[in-house]
Amino acid sequence: MKPSELEAGWFPAGLQNYVLPKTAGRVVIADNDIALWRGEDGQIRAWENRCPHRGMRLSYGIVRGNTLTCLYHGWSYDGAGACAGIPAHPELTPPKTIRAKAYRAADSGGFIWVANPGETTAAPSIDGDWVPNRSVHIDLAPTSLNELAEGIGAELVSKITDHAAIVRVPEVKGKVLLAFLDMKEHGAMIHTSVPASASENVAIAVSKLSTRLRQVFKASSAA
Amino acid sequence: MKLFDYVLSGNCYKIRLLLDFLELSHEKQAVDFFPGREHKSDAFLQINPLGQIPVLEDDGAYIRDAQAILVHLASRYDPTGTWWPVNDPSQLGRVAQWLAFADSITSTASAARLHDVLGYDLDVAQARAGAHKLFRVLDDHLANQELQGFNWIAGSRPTVADIACFPYVALAGDGGIELFYYPAIQRWIRRFVNLPRFKLMPGINIFD
Repeated sequence: MKPSELEAGWFPAGLQNYVLPKTAGRVVIADNDIALWRGEDGQIRAWENRCPHRGMRLSYGIVRGNTLTCLYHGWSYDGAGACAGIPAHPELTPPKTIRAKAYRAADSGGFIWVANPGETTAAPSIDGDWVPNRSVHIDLAPTSLNELAEGIGAELVSKITDHAAIVRVPEVKGKVLLAFLDMKEHGAMIHTSVPASASENVAIAVSKLSTRLRQVFKASSAA
Repeated sequence: MKLFDYVLSGNCYKIRLLLDFLELSHEKQAVDFFPGREHKSDAFLQINPLGQIPVLEDDGAYIRDAQAILVHLASRYDPTGTWWPVNDPSQLGRVAQWLAFADSITSTASAARLHDVLGYDLDVAQARAGAHKLFRVLDDHLANQELQGFNWIAGSRPTVADIACFPYVALAGDGGIELFYYPAIQRWIRRFVNLPRFKLMPGINIFD
């Protein structure tokens, strides 16, 4: 695995409800494998998906309180990534050098956002109340926001990052928060949020619209 | 009541789950599926001429096919009538539709797992591609159920359709099928493991 450095800026890693409190999940950003997790404090955390002990994916881990415990040999890590306990050596205070690599992570606009540890800009702040709507897996990443907006028949209202924008689609009233995450060999994810005031019918219409993007961004080998 | 069982079989796990959910007393008879191939032995073919597990013996009769056994147990022993919702005819066709879908999951996602875990000789790329097609359909369905306030495949309560689909979806990683493509499926798996009296099987490492 290459040293896990993302491109600059904030990436839409998933919907806020992809990782519920006291759970962990896996996300791939470009070719970086990342574990997302929340403690019972609800705070989102993004770490390199690799236990410093034996390289096991931390996204398989178990969340207890505000610590993440690796499924393999039970090494546990506190919310900041420092090793908090090693079951095979219960008397040992783990050395400070044993740490999970932590990225920056934030919740905003119904999405989870992830950036490099050294990212200097603040996480995107998005006006209004948004609720998570839908995540859809597609075979091929769009090459740009414009291509994505075109694919869904949307008009760009305001760009948030190179991968996320507020858009308007003719089929539904109101605005939609639309983003894509390029996962390279794993294809890509499309994420949408809708305003908290949106009706159930609008939410379902937006979900079905994003499902149609599978036909637009389809691998040539797929039937 | 006796279940002919193999601990690593997702199809047998479906029956173990419902037996536990309904708190039915029963015995289990282990079948040496791998490496013994006991399910293909002359003795077992007397019990199920198709040479497949699970088989349930109830009242002296043998019932085969995981989905059929689920329907048998739920319609006969579920006092609430919710797992196989006989009192709601508008739901029954829908539940049956997803029971058939579960069989397609077995022939794709389970086949990929048999290839990777037990070394079966089959076209694993085709099995994985088939599973992804089905998982997209299931993820779409579960996501739209959630947006309408429904947590389960057929509505607001779990049914045998959820039990029938659960094992080989939750075990898909063993066959090299990535579940992080399917967030609605992952949320449904987490709700499922939180059902009362739920028990894990080896290979499903999801904890509440």
